[in-house]
Amino acid sequence: MPPNFKLQGHFILIFLAALRGESRYLEMQEAVGYDPLLLFNANLKRDLAGEQPYRRALRCLDMLSLPGQFTFTADQPQLHCAAFFIGEPQEFITIHYDLVSIDCQGGDFLKVFDGWILKGEKFPSSQDHPLPTMERYIDFCESGLIRRSIRSSQNVAMIFFRVHEPGNGFTLTIKMDSNLFPCNVISQTPNGRFTLVVPHQHRNCSFSIIYPVAIKISDLTLGHFHGLHLKRPPADCGEIGDFVELLGGTGLDPSKMMPLADLCYPFHGPAQMKIGCDNTVVRMVSSGKHINRVTFEYRQLEPSELENENGNSIPEFCLLSL
Amino acid sequence: MRLRLLLSAGVLLVALLRCPPCGALLSRGSAPGAPQPPRGPHTLDFFQPEQPQQPQPRPVLLRMGEEYFLRLGNLHKSPAPRMSPDSSALAGGSDNRPGSHQAAAANFFRALLQQLPPRPLDSRAGPAERSAPGGHQEALERERRSEEPPISLDLTFHLLREVLEMARAEQLAQQAHSNRKLMEIIGK
Repeated sequence: MPPNFKLQGHFILIFLAALRGESRYLEMQEAVGYDPLLLFNANLKRDLAGEQPYRRALRCLDMLSLPGQFTFTADQPQLHCAAFFIGEPQEFITIHYDLVSIDCQGGDFLKVFDGWILKGEKFPSSQDHPLPTMERYIDFCESGLIRRSIRSSQNVAMIFFRVHEPGNGFTLTIKMDSNLFPCNVISQTPNGRFTLVVPHQHRNCSFSIIYPVAIKISDLTLGHFHGLHLKRPPADCGEIGDFVELLGGTGLDPSKMMPLADLCYPFHGPAQMKIGCDNTVVRMVSSGKHINRVTFEYRQLEPSELENENGNSIPEFCLLSL
Repeated sequence: MRLRLLLSAGVLLVALLRCPPCGALLSRGSAPGAPQPPRGPHTLDFFQPEQPQQPQPRPVLLRMGEEYFLRLGNLHKSPAPRMSPDSSALAGGSDNRPGSHQAAAANFFRALLQQLPPRPLDSRAGPAERSAPGGHQEALERERRSEEPPISLDLTFHLLREVLEMARAEQLAQQAHSNRKLMEIIGK
Protein backbone atom coordinates (compact mmCIF):
# COMPACT_ATOMS: atom_id res chain seq x y z
CA MET A 1 0.00 0.00 0.00
CA PRO A 2 1.48 3.33 -0.96
CA PRO A 3 2.61 5.37 2.03
CA ASN A 4 0.47 8.36 1.05
CA PHE A 5 -2.66 6.30 1.12
CA LYS A 6 -1.62 4.83 4.46
CA LEU A 7 -1.27 8.31 5.87
CA GLN A 8 -4.66 9.33 4.57
CA GLY A 9 -6.21 6.15 5.91
CA HIS A 10 -4.77 6.78 9.34
CA PHE A 11 -6.00 10.31 9.25
CA ILE A 12 -9.51 9.14 8.42
CA LEU A 13 -9.45 6.56 11.19
CA ILE A 14 -8.36 9.13 13.75
CA PHE A 15 -11.05 11.50 12.60
CA LEU A 16 -13.74 8.83 12.85
CA ALA A 17 -12.65 7.89 16.35
CA ALA A 18 -12.90 11.52 17.37
CA LEU A 19 -16.38 11.87 15.95
CA ARG A 20 -17.59 8.78 17.84
CA GLY A 21 -17.59 10.70 21.09
CA GLU A 22 -14.08 10.85 22.39
CA SER A 23 -14.20 14.59 21.96
CA ARG A 24 -17.13 14.77 24.35
CA TYR A 25 -15.09 12.79 26.87
CA LEU A 26 -12.26 15.23 26.54
CA GLU A 27 -14.72 18.11 26.87
CA MET A 28 -16.04 16.66 30.12
CA GLN A 29 -12.55 16.06 31.43
CA GLU A 30 -11.58 19.60 30.61
CA ALA A 31 -14.68 20.95 32.29
CA VAL A 32 -14.05 18.87 35.41
CA GLY A 33 -10.41 19.76 35.55
CA TYR A 34 -10.90 23.43 34.86
CA ASP A 35 -9.26 25.37 37.57
CA PRO A 36 -9.22 29.15 37.34
CA LEU A 37 -6.34 29.19 39.77
CA LEU A 38 -4.12 27.73 37.09
CA LEU A 39 -3.71 31.32 36.06
CA PHE A 40 -1.66 31.84 39.19
CA ASN A 41 1.47 30.10 40.31
CA ALA A 42 1.74 27.06 42.56
CA ASN A 43 2.61 29.15 45.63
CA LEU A 44 -0.62 31.06 45.37
CA LYS A 45 -2.55 27.84 45.15
CA ARG A 46 -0.83 26.53 48.24
CA ASP A 47 -1.60 29.71 50.16
CA LEU A 48 -5.25 29.58 49.27
CA ALA A 49 -5.53 25.84 49.94
CA GLY A 50 -4.07 26.35 53.40
CA GLU A 51 -6.89 28.64 54.43
CA GLN A 52 -8.94 27.23 57.26
CA PRO A 53 -12.57 26.45 56.46
CA TYR A 54 -15.14 28.90 57.73
CA ARG A 55 -16.18 28.10 61.29
CA ARG A 56 -18.67 29.45 63.74
CA ALA A 57 -21.11 28.39 66.41
CA LEU A 58 -24.52 27.18 65.33
CA ARG A 59 -27.52 28.84 66.90
CA CYS A 60 -30.70 27.13 68.01
CA LEU A 61 -32.52 28.76 65.09
CA ASP A 62 -30.15 29.36 62.24
CA MET A 63 -29.84 29.64 58.49
CA LEU A 64 -26.63 28.79 56.65
CA SER A 65 -25.86 29.61 53.06
CA LEU A 66 -22.12 28.97 52.95
CA PRO A 67 -19.90 25.94 53.50
CA GLY A 68 -17.90 25.47 56.65
CA GLN A 69 -17.81 23.83 60.02
CA PHE A 70 -20.54 24.64 62.53
CA THR A 71 -20.74 23.60 66.14
CA PHE A 72 -23.77 23.62 68.38
CA THR A 73 -23.20 23.37 72.12
CA ALA A 74 -26.13 23.64 74.48
CA ASP A 75 -25.58 26.11 77.30
CA GLN A 76 -29.00 25.19 78.67
CA PRO A 77 -31.64 22.65 77.61
CA GLN A 78 -32.52 23.49 74.02
CA LEU A 79 -35.65 21.59 73.07
CA HIS A 80 -36.92 23.22 69.90
CA CYS A 81 -34.13 23.90 67.48
CA ALA A 82 -33.76 23.87 63.72
CA ALA A 83 -31.22 25.05 61.20
CA PHE A 84 -31.92 25.73 57.55
CA PHE A 85 -29.35 25.21 54.82
CA ILE A 86 -29.60 26.84 51.43
CA GLY A 87 -27.15 26.90 48.57
CA GLU A 88 -27.02 28.39 45.13
CA PRO A 89 -29.61 26.98 42.72
CA GLN A 90 -26.99 24.81 41.04
CA GLU A 91 -25.70 23.24 44.25
CA PHE A 92 -26.40 20.23 46.41
CA ILE A 93 -25.81 20.39 50.14
CA THR A 94 -23.74 17.74 51.90
CA ILE A 95 -24.00 17.49 55.68
CA HIS A 96 -21.20 15.58 57.36
CA TYR A 97 -21.25 14.67 61.05
CA ASP A 98 -17.83 15.49 62.50
CA LEU A 99 -18.78 14.98 66.12
CA VAL A 100 -22.07 14.21 67.81
CA SER A 101 -22.49 14.18 71.56
CA ILE A 102 -26.18 13.84 72.41
CA ASP A 103 -28.18 11.58 74.67
CA CYS A 104 -30.64 9.77 72.41
CA GLN A 105 -31.99 7.68 75.27
CA GLY A 106 -32.54 10.84 77.26
CA GLY A 107 -34.80 12.37 74.62
CA ASP A 108 -32.23 14.20 72.50
CA PHE A 109 -32.49 13.94 68.74
CA LEU A 110 -30.75 15.15 65.63
CA LYS A 111 -32.57 14.72 62.32
CA VAL A 112 -31.72 15.81 58.82
CA PHE A 113 -34.60 16.56 56.46
CA ASP A 114 -34.12 16.50 52.69
CA GLY A 115 -35.74 19.80 51.82
CA TRP A 116 -37.50 22.37 53.91
CA ILE A 117 -40.60 21.76 55.94
CA LEU A 118 -42.55 24.62 57.42
CA LYS A 119 -45.89 24.30 59.20
CA GLY A 120 -46.19 20.80 57.85
CA GLU A 121 -45.69 21.92 54.26
CA LYS A 122 -42.70 20.52 52.46
CA PHE A 123 -40.51 21.72 49.65
CA PRO A 124 -40.14 19.91 47.34
CA SER A 125 -43.66 18.58 47.59
CA SER A 126 -44.31 14.87 47.98
CA GLN A 127 -45.21 14.75 44.29
CA ASP A 128 -41.89 16.20 43.18
CA HIS A 129 -39.53 14.31 45.48
CA PRO A 130 -38.36 10.75 44.85
CA LEU A 131 -38.70 9.67 48.49
CA PRO A 132 -41.76 9.39 50.73
CA THR A 133 -41.89 11.95 53.53
CA MET A 134 -40.69 9.77 56.38
CA GLU A 135 -37.68 8.61 54.39
CA ARG A 136 -36.65 12.19 53.88
CA TYR A 137 -35.80 12.32 57.58
CA ILE A 138 -32.45 10.81 58.56
CA ASP A 139 -32.41 10.34 62.31
CA PHE A 140 -28.98 10.20 63.89
CA CYS A 141 -30.38 8.27 66.86
CA GLU A 142 -31.51 5.51 64.51
CA SER A 143 -28.77 5.41 61.92
CA GLY A 144 -25.83 6.62 63.97
CA LEU A 145 -22.59 7.26 62.15
CA ILE A 146 -23.38 4.64 59.51
CA ARG A 147 -24.90 7.49 57.53
CA ARG A 148 -22.26 10.02 58.32
CA SER A 149 -22.50 12.07 55.15
CA ILE A 150 -25.90 13.02 53.82
CA ARG A 151 -26.45 14.84 50.57
CA SER A 152 -29.61 16.67 49.68
CA SER A 153 -31.55 16.25 46.45
CA GLN A 154 -31.79 19.99 45.85
CA ASN A 155 -30.29 23.26 47.08
CA VAL A 156 -32.08 23.22 50.44
CA ALA A 157 -31.98 21.00 53.51
CA MET A 158 -32.54 21.42 57.23
CA ILE A 159 -31.89 19.79 60.57
CA PHE A 160 -34.01 19.49 63.69
CA PHE A 161 -32.33 18.93 67.02
CA ARG A 162 -32.96 18.80 70.73
CA VAL A 163 -30.29 18.70 73.41
CA HIS A 164 -31.19 18.49 77.09
CA GLU A 165 -27.83 18.39 78.80
CA PRO A 166 -25.74 21.58 78.85
CA GLY A 167 -22.39 20.89 77.26
CA ASN A 168 -23.75 18.35 74.80
CA GLY A 169 -23.98 19.16 71.12
CA PHE A 170 -22.55 18.34 67.73
CA THR A 171 -20.28 19.60 64.95
CA LEU A 172 -21.23 19.51 61.28
CA THR A 173 -19.31 20.23 58.13
CA ILE A 174 -21.37 21.66 55.32
CA LYS A 175 -20.21 21.39 51.72
CA MET A 176 -21.76 22.50 48.49
CA ASP A 177 -21.53 20.21 45.47
CA SER A 178 -22.31 21.08 41.91
CA ASN A 179 -25.67 20.15 40.39
CA LEU A 180 -25.66 20.28 36.60
CA PHE A 181 -29.41 20.22 36.12
CA PRO A 182 -31.06 21.71 39.19
CA CYS A 183 -34.65 20.64 39.48
CA ASN A 184 -36.20 21.89 42.72
CA VAL A 185 -34.82 25.23 43.87
CA ILE A 186 -35.58 27.85 46.49
CA SER A 187 -34.14 31.20 45.56
CA GLN A 188 -31.91 32.89 48.09
CA THR A 189 -32.78 36.32 46.77
CA PRO A 190 -36.01 38.10 45.81
CA ASN A 191 -34.44 39.28 42.54
CA GLY A 192 -32.72 37.25 39.89
CA ARG A 193 -32.78 35.35 36.67
CA PHE A 194 -32.84 31.62 36.08
CA THR A 195 -33.12 29.04 33.33
CA LEU A 196 -34.79 25.81 34.32
CA VAL A 197 -33.81 22.92 32.06
CA VAL A 198 -35.34 19.45 32.24
CA PRO A 199 -33.59 17.25 29.68
CA HIS A 200 -35.51 14.10 28.82
CA GLN A 201 -36.58 13.50 32.40
CA HIS A 202 -40.03 12.46 33.52
CA ARG A 203 -40.14 14.68 36.56
CA ASN A 204 -41.67 17.90 37.75
CA CYS A 205 -39.38 20.71 38.85
CA SER A 206 -40.22 23.78 40.90
CA PHE A 207 -38.44 27.09 41.37
CA SER A 208 -39.69 28.79 44.52
CA ILE A 209 -39.34 32.45 45.47
CA ILE A 210 -40.53 33.18 48.99
CA TYR A 211 -41.38 36.80 48.19
CA PRO A 212 -44.13 38.61 46.30
CA VAL A 213 -42.57 39.14 42.90
CA ALA A 214 -43.13 40.20 39.35
CA ILE A 215 -42.10 37.38 37.02
CA LYS A 216 -41.18 37.88 33.39
CA ILE A 217 -40.88 34.75 31.26
CA SER A 218 -38.70 35.49 28.29
CA ASP A 219 -38.06 32.12 26.73
CA LEU A 220 -40.05 28.93 26.72
CA THR A 221 -39.04 25.76 24.90
CA LEU A 222 -41.17 22.69 25.28
CA GLY A 223 -39.75 19.84 23.28
CA HIS A 224 -40.49 20.39 19.64
CA PHE A 225 -42.44 23.56 20.43
CA HIS A 226 -39.44 25.77 19.85
CA GLY A 227 -39.63 29.36 20.95
CA LEU A 228 -43.05 30.75 21.62
CA HIS A 229 -44.66 29.98 18.28
CA LEU A 230 -47.04 27.17 17.53
CA LYS A 231 -49.41 26.83 14.62
CA ARG A 232 -52.23 25.09 16.46
CA PRO A 233 -52.48 25.96 20.15
CA PRO A 234 -53.79 23.04 22.24
CA ALA A 235 -57.09 23.23 24.09
CA ASP A 236 -55.61 22.27 27.43
CA CYS A 237 -52.05 22.20 28.71
CA GLY A 238 -52.73 18.93 30.45
CA GLU A 239 -53.21 17.27 27.05
CA ILE A 240 -49.69 18.24 26.06
CA GLY A 241 -47.87 16.62 28.93
CA ASP A 242 -45.13 19.23 29.01
CA PHE A 243 -45.98 22.67 30.30
CA VAL A 244 -44.99 25.38 32.74
CA GLU A 245 -47.31 26.61 35.46
CA LEU A 246 -47.14 29.62 37.74
CA LEU A 247 -48.28 29.03 41.31
CA GLY A 248 -48.93 31.38 44.19
CA GLY A 249 -49.70 30.74 47.81
CA THR A 250 -48.96 31.34 51.45
CA GLY A 251 -47.21 28.06 52.18
CA LEU A 252 -44.12 26.23 51.09
CA ASP A 253 -45.68 23.22 49.37
CA PRO A 254 -46.21 23.79 45.63
CA SER A 255 -48.89 21.08 45.51
CA LYS A 256 -51.02 23.19 47.86
CA MET A 257 -50.61 26.44 45.99
CA MET A 258 -53.01 28.13 43.64
CA PRO A 259 -52.27 27.68 39.91
CA LEU A 260 -52.27 31.13 38.37
CA ALA A 261 -51.25 30.41 34.80
CA ASP A 262 -50.40 27.51 32.51
CA LEU A 263 -47.92 28.04 29.68
CA CYS A 264 -47.86 25.55 26.84
CA TYR A 265 -48.94 27.67 23.93
CA PRO A 266 -47.23 30.47 22.08
CA PHE A 267 -47.51 34.14 22.85
CA HIS A 268 -45.64 37.08 21.45
CA GLY A 269 -43.04 38.80 23.53
CA PRO A 270 -42.10 38.19 27.15
CA ALA A 271 -44.96 37.46 29.53
CA GLN A 272 -45.01 39.29 32.83
CA MET A 273 -47.12 38.58 35.84
CA LYS A 274 -47.22 40.19 39.27
CA ILE A 275 -47.92 37.71 42.03
CA GLY A 276 -48.54 39.24 45.42
CA CYS A 277 -48.20 36.03 47.40
CA ASP A 278 -45.79 35.00 50.13
CA ASN A 279 -44.50 32.28 47.85
CA THR A 280 -44.29 32.21 44.06
CA VAL A 281 -43.38 29.06 42.18
CA VAL A 282 -42.49 28.41 38.56
CA ARG A 283 -43.15 24.73 38.01
CA MET A 284 -42.26 22.72 34.93
CA VAL A 285 -44.11 19.50 34.21
CA SER A 286 -42.13 17.22 31.91
CA SER A 287 -43.13 13.95 30.29
CA GLY A 288 -39.54 12.92 29.63
CA LYS A 289 -39.97 12.89 25.88
CA HIS A 290 -38.43 16.28 25.27
CA ILE A 291 -35.87 18.75 26.46
CA ASN A 292 -37.79 21.53 28.16
CA ARG A 293 -36.40 24.90 29.09
CA VAL A 294 -37.84 28.07 30.55
CA THR A 295 -36.00 31.30 31.30
CA PHE A 296 -37.46 33.89 33.60
CA GLU A 297 -36.55 36.96 35.58
CA TYR A 298 -38.09 38.02 38.84
CA ARG A 299 -38.00 41.07 41.04
CA GLN A 300 -39.54 41.78 44.39
CA LEU A 301 -42.73 43.80 44.35
CA GLU A 302 -42.65 47.18 46.02
CA PRO A 303 -45.18 47.82 48.80
CA SER A 304 -46.98 50.25 46.52
CA GLU A 305 -47.33 47.55 43.89
CA LEU A 306 -48.87 45.20 46.40
CA GLU A 307 -51.62 47.73 47.02
CA ASN A 308 -52.20 48.41 43.33
CA GLU A 309 -54.81 46.07 41.86
CA ASN A 310 -54.35 47.21 38.29
CA GLY A 311 -52.46 45.33 35.66
CA ASN A 312 -51.83 41.65 35.30
CA SER A 313 -51.98 40.75 38.97
CA ILE A 314 -53.95 38.38 41.11
CA PRO A 315 -53.87 39.92 44.56
CA GLU A 316 -57.18 38.71 45.87
CA PHE A 317 -56.18 35.14 46.56
CA CYS A 318 -53.01 35.85 48.49
CA LEU A 319 -53.74 39.17 50.18
CA LEU A 320 -56.86 37.75 51.80
CA SER A 321 -54.66 35.18 53.50
CA LEU A 322 -52.20 37.67 54.96
CA MET B 1 -3.09 9.52 -6.58
CA ARG B 2 -5.97 11.80 -7.34
CA LEU B 3 -8.35 8.89 -7.19
CA ARG B 4 -7.09 7.96 -3.78
CA LEU B 5 -7.42 11.50 -2.57
CA LEU B 6 -10.95 11.68 -3.86
CA LEU B 7 -11.75 8.37 -2.24
CA SER B 8 -10.42 9.59 1.11
CA ALA B 9 -12.41 12.80 0.86
CA GLY B 10 -15.54 10.84 0.01
CA VAL B 11 -15.16 8.57 3.02
CA LEU B 12 -14.64 11.63 5.17
CA LEU B 13 -17.75 13.30 3.86
CA VAL B 14 -19.85 10.20 4.48
CA ALA B 15 -18.56 10.01 8.01
CA LEU B 16 -19.43 13.65 8.64
CA LEU B 17 -22.92 13.30 7.29
CA ARG B 18 -23.66 10.24 9.37
CA CYS B 19 -22.32 11.63 12.59
CA PRO B 20 -25.10 12.55 15.04
CA PRO B 21 -25.00 15.99 16.63
CA CYS B 22 -22.37 15.98 19.30
CA GLY B 23 -24.39 18.19 21.59
CA ALA B 24 -22.99 18.75 25.03
CA LEU B 25 -26.53 18.93 26.43
CA LEU B 26 -27.12 15.19 26.05
CA SER B 27 -23.61 14.06 26.69
CA ARG B 28 -23.21 15.28 30.24
CA GLY B 29 -23.90 12.93 33.07
CA SER B 30 -25.44 9.51 32.66
CA ALA B 31 -28.15 8.15 30.38
CA PRO B 32 -31.14 10.39 29.83
CA GLY B 33 -33.88 10.10 32.36
CA ALA B 34 -31.66 8.56 35.01
CA PRO B 35 -29.52 11.12 36.78
CA GLN B 36 -26.95 9.39 38.93
CA PRO B 37 -24.91 11.56 41.24
CA PRO B 38 -21.51 10.21 42.24
CA ARG B 39 -21.59 7.90 45.22
CA GLY B 40 -18.79 7.83 47.76
CA PRO B 41 -18.19 4.95 50.13
CA HIS B 42 -19.77 6.75 53.08
CA THR B 43 -22.12 9.07 51.27
CA LEU B 44 -25.84 8.58 51.30
CA ASP B 45 -27.81 10.54 48.81
CA PHE B 46 -31.52 10.83 48.67
CA PHE B 47 -31.99 9.84 45.08
CA GLN B 48 -33.60 6.44 45.36
CA PRO B 49 -36.30 4.68 43.33
CA GLU B 50 -39.69 6.22 43.86
CA GLN B 51 -41.82 4.37 46.35
CA PRO B 52 -45.56 4.48 46.77
CA GLN B 53 -46.59 7.49 48.78
CA GLN B 54 -48.25 6.82 52.10
CA PRO B 55 -51.00 9.15 53.21
CA GLN B 56 -49.63 11.39 55.94
CA PRO B 57 -51.88 12.61 58.75
CA ARG B 58 -52.10 16.35 59.09
CA PRO B 59 -49.78 17.62 61.82
CA VAL B 60 -51.07 19.81 64.59
CA LEU B 61 -50.81 23.51 63.91
CA LEU B 62 -49.67 25.88 66.54
CA ARG B 63 -49.05 29.55 66.04
CA MET B 64 -48.29 32.15 68.63
CA GLY B 65 -47.85 35.37 66.78
CA GLU B 66 -44.27 35.82 65.67
CA GLU B 67 -43.01 32.95 67.78
CA TYR B 68 -42.64 29.50 66.48
CA PHE B 69 -42.72 25.98 67.73
CA LEU B 70 -41.20 22.71 66.86
CA ARG B 71 -44.03 20.36 66.07
CA LEU B 72 -43.07 16.86 67.10
CA GLY B 73 -44.10 13.71 65.32
CA ASN B 74 -44.36 11.50 68.38
CA LEU B 75 -45.07 13.51 71.48
CA HIS B 76 -44.80 10.38 73.62
CA LYS B 77 -41.11 10.18 72.87
CA SER B 78 -40.63 13.41 74.75
CA PRO B 79 -41.94 12.88 78.28
CA ALA B 80 -44.25 15.57 79.65
CA PRO B 81 -41.90 16.67 82.44
CA ARG B 82 -39.48 17.80 79.71
CA MET B 83 -42.06 20.19 78.31
CA SER B 84 -41.55 22.50 81.24
CA PRO B 85 -42.24 26.22 81.20
CA ASP B 86 -38.53 26.84 81.17
CA SER B 87 -38.10 25.12 77.81
CA SER B 88 -36.35 27.55 75.62
CA ALA B 89 -37.94 29.50 72.81
CA LEU B 90 -35.97 30.25 69.72
CA ALA B 91 -34.74 33.64 68.74
CA GLY B 92 -31.04 33.87 68.09
CA GLY B 93 -30.44 30.99 70.45
CA SER B 94 -31.15 33.02 73.53
CA ASP B 95 -34.02 32.44 75.87
CA ASN B 96 -35.67 35.82 76.24
CA ARG B 97 -39.29 34.81 75.95
CA PRO B 98 -41.83 35.70 78.55
CA GLY B 99 -42.74 32.78 80.78
CA SER B 100 -46.44 33.00 79.90
CA HIS B 101 -45.84 31.87 76.30
CA GLN B 102 -43.77 28.92 77.38
CA ALA B 103 -46.28 27.93 80.03
CA ALA B 104 -49.04 28.08 77.43
CA ALA B 105 -46.99 25.93 75.09
CA ALA B 106 -46.25 23.41 77.79
CA ASN B 107 -49.92 23.32 78.73
CA PHE B 108 -50.83 22.81 75.09
CA PHE B 109 -48.54 19.81 74.78
CA ARG B 110 -49.84 18.31 78.03
CA ALA B 111 -53.43 18.69 76.80
CA LEU B 112 -52.51 17.07 73.53
CA LEU B 113 -50.90 14.16 75.31
CA GLN B 114 -54.11 13.56 77.23
CA GLN B 115 -56.20 13.62 74.07
CA LEU B 116 -54.03 11.30 72.02
CA PRO B 117 -54.69 7.54 72.27
CA PRO B 118 -52.25 5.82 74.61
CA ARG B 119 -49.25 4.29 72.93
CA PRO B 120 -46.62 2.02 74.38
CA LEU B 121 -43.49 3.95 75.21
CA ASP B 122 -41.36 1.95 72.82
CA SER B 123 -38.57 4.46 72.98
CA ARG B 124 -38.26 3.81 76.68
CA ALA B 125 -38.22 0.01 76.35
CA GLY B 126 -35.12 -1.65 77.74
CA PRO B 127 -32.64 -3.44 75.54
CA ALA B 128 -33.85 -6.88 76.71
CA GLU B 129 -37.42 -6.15 75.76
CA ARG B 130 -36.31 -4.86 72.39
CA SER B 131 -34.04 -7.72 71.53
CA ALA B 132 -36.37 -10.59 72.45
CA PRO B 133 -39.06 -10.11 69.74
CA GLY B 134 -36.31 -8.63 67.56
CA GLY B 135 -37.56 -7.93 64.08
CA HIS B 136 -41.23 -7.84 65.05
CA GLN B 137 -40.64 -4.94 67.44
CA GLU B 138 -38.67 -3.06 64.83
CA ALA B 139 -41.38 -3.60 62.24
CA LEU B 140 -43.99 -2.28 64.68
CA GLU B 141 -41.80 0.72 65.45
CA ARG B 142 -41.34 1.45 61.77
CA GLU B 143 -45.04 1.22 61.11
CA ARG B 144 -45.77 3.48 64.03
CA ARG B 145 -43.21 6.02 62.90
CA SER B 146 -44.63 6.03 59.41
CA GLU B 147 -48.04 6.94 60.80
CA GLU B 148 -46.70 9.81 62.87
CA PRO B 149 -46.96 13.32 61.56
CA PRO B 150 -43.59 14.63 60.42
CA ILE B 151 -41.50 16.94 62.54
CA SER B 152 -41.95 20.47 61.32
CA LEU B 153 -41.26 24.02 62.30
CA ASP B 154 -43.98 26.60 62.73
CA LEU B 155 -42.23 29.66 61.44
CA THR B 156 -43.75 32.62 59.65
CA PHE B 157 -42.49 33.63 56.25
CA HIS B 158 -41.50 36.94 57.76
CA LEU B 159 -39.08 35.26 60.19
CA LEU B 160 -37.87 32.91 57.48
CA ARG B 161 -36.98 35.87 55.27
CA GLU B 162 -35.25 37.57 58.18
CA VAL B 163 -32.95 34.63 58.84
CA LEU B 164 -32.42 34.17 55.11
CA GLU B 165 -31.27 37.74 54.76
CA MET B 166 -28.96 37.31 57.73
CA ALA B 167 -27.47 34.26 56.05
CA ARG B 168 -26.99 36.18 52.83
CA ALA B 169 -25.26 39.00 54.67
CA GLU B 170 -22.95 36.49 56.33
CA GLN B 171 -22.18 34.90 52.96
CA LEU B 172 -21.35 38.25 51.39
CA ALA B 173 -19.13 39.19 54.33
CA GLN B 174 -17.27 35.91 54.02
CA GLN B 175 -16.89 36.39 50.29
CA ALA B 176 -15.47 39.87 50.89
CA HIS B 177 -13.03 38.40 53.41
CA SER B 178 -11.90 35.77 50.91
CA ASN B 179 -11.46 38.38 48.20
CA ARG B 180 -9.36 40.49 50.57
CA LYS B 181 -7.17 37.50 51.37
CA LEU B 182 -6.76 36.76 47.69
CA MET B 183 -5.71 40.31 46.94
CA GLU B 184 -3.23 40.21 49.81
CA ILE B 185 -1.69 37.03 48.46
CA ILE B 186 -1.52 38.35 44.94
CA GLY B 187 0.11 41.52 46.18
CA LYS B 188 3.01 39.62 47.78
